Amino acid sequence: MDTLELCYLSAAELSRGVRDRKLSPVEIVDAHLARIEATEPVLNSFITLLPEQARAAARRAEAEIQAGRRRGPLHGIPVGLKDLFNTAGVRTTSGSRLLDTFIPKEDCTVAARLQRAGGILLGKLNMHQFAYGPTGENPDYGHMHNPWDPERISGGSSGGSGSAAAAGQCPITLGSDTGGSIRIPAALCGIVGLKPTYGLVSRHGLTPLAWSMDHPGPMTRTVEDAALTLTVIAGHDPKDPASSKAAVPDYMAALTGDIRGLRIGVPKEFWAAPVDAQVAQSVREAIALLAELGAVVSEVSLPLFSASQAISNAILMPEASAYHRDRLLQDGDKLYPPVRLRMEAGLFISAADYLRGQQARRVFNLQARRLLEQVDLLAGPAVPVTAPHLLAPTVDIGGRQVGTTAALTQYSRPYNITGFPAISVPCGFSDAGLPMGLQLAGRPFDELTVLRAAHAYQQATQWHLRRPPV
Amino acid sequence: MPADPQLTWEDFLRLAQQAGLDASSPHLAELFPYVQGVLASLEPLRSLDVSGEEPDMAFLPNPE
Repeated sequence: MDTLELCYLSAAELSRGVRDRKLSPVEIVDAHLARIEATEPVLNSFITLLPEQARAAARRAEAEIQAGRRRGPLHGIPVGLKDLFNTAGVRTTSGSRLLDTFIPKEDCTVAARLQRAGGILLGKLNMHQFAYGPTGENPDYGHMHNPWDPERISGGSSGGSGSAAAAGQCPITLGSDTGGSIRIPAALCGIVGLKPTYGLVSRHGLTPLAWSMDHPGPMTRTVEDAALTLTVIAGHDPKDPASSKAAVPDYMAALTGDIRGLRIGVPKEFWAAPVDAQVAQSVREAIALLAELGAVVSEVSLPLFSASQAISNAILMPEASAYHRDRLLQDGDKLYPPVRLRMEAGLFISAADYLRGQQARRVFNLQARRLLEQVDLLAGPAVPVTAPHLLAPTVDIGGRQVGTTAALTQYSRPYNITGFPAISVPCGFSDAGLPMGLQLAGRPFDELTVLRAAHAYQQATQWHLRRPPV
Repeated sequence: MPADPQLTWEDFLRLAQQAGLDASSPHLAELFPYVQGVLASLEPLRSLDVSGEEPDMAFLPNPE
């Protein structure tokens, strides 16, 4: 098979090919390394590449599979990790030169589970410094670039994960999401990004941004691959104090394609917020298609949506500043200036305001949970705009200038407050050829329904099959 | 709940010093308006009725 075609097979297709011994892990890894070599000068998706380690792992996988010892569904499949997932013996920078030589002694839980399932680590992916920004800017290791237009951002903070999956550099990438850092790059790069329920996937061994809002999750080109990856990484971890003991179902079994009778609510407040006309149109069409497929769509109300940025800021910023305080006071001038400003500003939020934010979070959660007694899913845009130009401080939305960070996180922050599972799935392209994302969110630990609806939508459309020009 | 009074430069310097920042750094001139903007972004919290609500110190949705 042509190596480019191999790079655009899904992880599930690769997995079946390896299982049936029609595809070789060595061939798969070589193809992806070649793709990375060809596209990396434009995209800058990786901070650390591991070609020799990956080739050696591929040779081992091939021998094991030929000997009838298949480890799991990811055996022989390339994976990439955002560079805040600790990896034993491989430097983990969190996107900062301050940690350029930090080499963890042990794998984070997610990396260990991927490896146990046979995944082959291709490298560590570029990210917004310390995950503190939604644009994918990084002066230390270079900015990330969008595969659909390299003059535009990949989104962040998991920007390298987004561009790598979209451009066929790696079929499965992992990101983390504190205010939208999985779903924003997924929407802007035209891939699937799943933020699982808080507590479903272990945070152990990840550099925190905000303890109570950090969610690791998969970023892939298909919903099926997100389900496959989640099945491998989800589940209780005693090393994470917030880890749930809830039983982990077979997420692949959710992908029936049948969404008849599924109740989908669309909060009317989403349309009162600034949203690009093409994004709004594309998301409305996606929701209409879900209705054609049998879902029962209704308008609902989430009045506290307008307070979500305030609640998020009141919680996220002090938590981030508390975690990074020593680094900030010692090496603040070595941080990316916008990241430094955010970390410093968090020091000025009082304990009273932090706690008021947590009180408001409870009220917000109650309102959102009541909504999800009326409907099974909430739908809306993942991001209100297509990918902005690199370093643009504001974006134009219908003639109105909106701060880029505020705009990008507008629709994602609510589900970091609630901890609900939320997915971004590609739902169209703008006139400029830039992808857009539909966001679906469900009840805590009901990833099955979120994945079922997203998969049904993806099966009925072909947006995910388009390839970026890079 | 009443709105917070505007943060003055003097109060900002005092808080910066208490937080461990170098109060003589010219960088603070850049930080001051940024902090004012962040504090202003919290204003919607003041109009919310949160009376009687305990803070969700850590969000643990249905952990069992």
